[in-house]
Amino acid sequence: MATDSATQSRQPMGAGERKLSRLLLVVEDIIKVPLFRCQRCGECILSSTAFICSQNCPKRMRNGPCGGTGEGGSCEVFPDRKCVWYRIYVRSEQLHRVSLLFNRMKSHSWNLEGTSSWLNAFRKRTEAPVVFVRNDRQRVKDIISDDAARKG
Amino acid sequence: MTLREKVESNHFVVCGELRPPQSCNGDRIRDKARHFKGYVDALNTTDNQTAIVRLSSIASAKILLEEGIEPIMQMTCRDRNRLAMQSDLLGAAALGIRNVLCLTGDHQSIGDQPEARGVFDLDSVQLIAGVATMNSGFLLSGREMKKAPEFLIGAAANPFGEPFEMRLIRLQKKIAAGAHFIQTQPVFDLGVFTRWMERVVDMGLHERAAILAGVMPVRSAKTLLWMKERVPGTRIGVEYVDRMSHAHDPEQEGVTMAVEMIQALKAMRGVRGIHFMPVMWESITPTIMTEAGLHVAQ
Repeated sequence: MATDSATQSRQPMGAGERKLSRLLLVVEDIIKVPLFRCQRCGECILSSTAFICSQNCPKRMRNGPCGGTGEGGSCEVFPDRKCVWYRIYVRSEQLHRVSLLFNRMKSHSWNLEGTSSWLNAFRKRTEAPVVFVRNDRQRVKDIISDDAARKG
Repeated sequence: MTLREKVESNHFVVCGELRPPQSCNGDRIRDKARHFKGYVDALNTTDNQTAIVRLSSIASAKILLEEGIEPIMQMTCRDRNRLAMQSDLLGAAALGIRNVLCLTGDHQSIGDQPEARGVFDLDSVQLIAGVATMNSGFLLSGREMKKAPEFLIGAAANPFGEPFEMRLIRLQKKIAAGAHFIQTQPVFDLGVFTRWMERVVDMGLHERAAILAGVMPVRSAKTLLWMKERVPGTRIGVEYVDRMSHAHDPEQEGVTMAVEMIQALKAMRGVRGIHFMPVMWESITPTIMTEAGLHVAQ
């Protein structure tokens, strides 16, 4: 019986891999920190969130917005800012990547914080990024109808 | 009839909400609970709502059990990591608590101790999935338990946040993760709620989980405005503020409004029940429930 947690994250890192992770992280940080305000969670889901880092949310939500978003999509904690997930939804629509928002993200493995997400994805500790989405609209419809058929 | 039986059959469900005191006075819970007895199927016990310290939801739920009322224990992700959550859930199950409402929780910065560290180890979708895993007999570590808890899993939905479609995606995720029933934010904008409910029915979600619409009676226009300002995720139609501020007897108007709301929601397709939240006004419960014609079959 699989659990909801990303159990693959328990795959230990050898000394060599730790070194490689640090090295890759330098490169990753140079790109992702200025571009996406990357929070270095080590379990990158940027490709499913229309390339907006969901980890900038004060609650670090990985599965969509909390119940605190107000009118106009304002953030509960910083009312003058837009909710990260508001921006993610708007851009997902623009980029035709809405179907990816239905992915249920597993619990974050905090032991991966500050490691290279590229290496983690390559070593299959975390899921691989999704590059292209075809027929986004149809996919959304399929997800909803598949799910409705499942019931309960 | 237990809440599970009601949710799984086609009965109209009425839940209430009890806010534990900011002290260790358990009698306050017993006093408040008395107003609900016989009028609700189950009563939520909130878990440090609006990030203000209160008597714990587990202890409150246990007190309700002693009083002969079925509790729904709320659990937020703000104050506990996954280890504490699992152990609290096991403890709750051992105490006879059978219903849990899984919430992410208001951020600590909106409470009275903004300097606190928020945990947010899991989010509510992951917590729902976690409780479902425990129901199937496993801890999140993968270890098998000798005895599995049998929780009826609840979740919250906010039909009023924007963007609209994202809220539905999130609701879909919660139900797919294993939620059996959904309680919504209090409805003060019937137009938006109707539109949301239509989409829920379109997506077939109302058949997979019982949707319980939030109803909150208010005493004054001031309360409404306070909610708009201070309670995250609420949306209040202007007509309600107008009605309250022009009423000769605001309390009576509040009762009438709540009764009208219950009747409108009851008639709406896909609504399986209501979640009644008389904040600071528990004593009004019998009046409103009687006027709305909601009698709980024991």
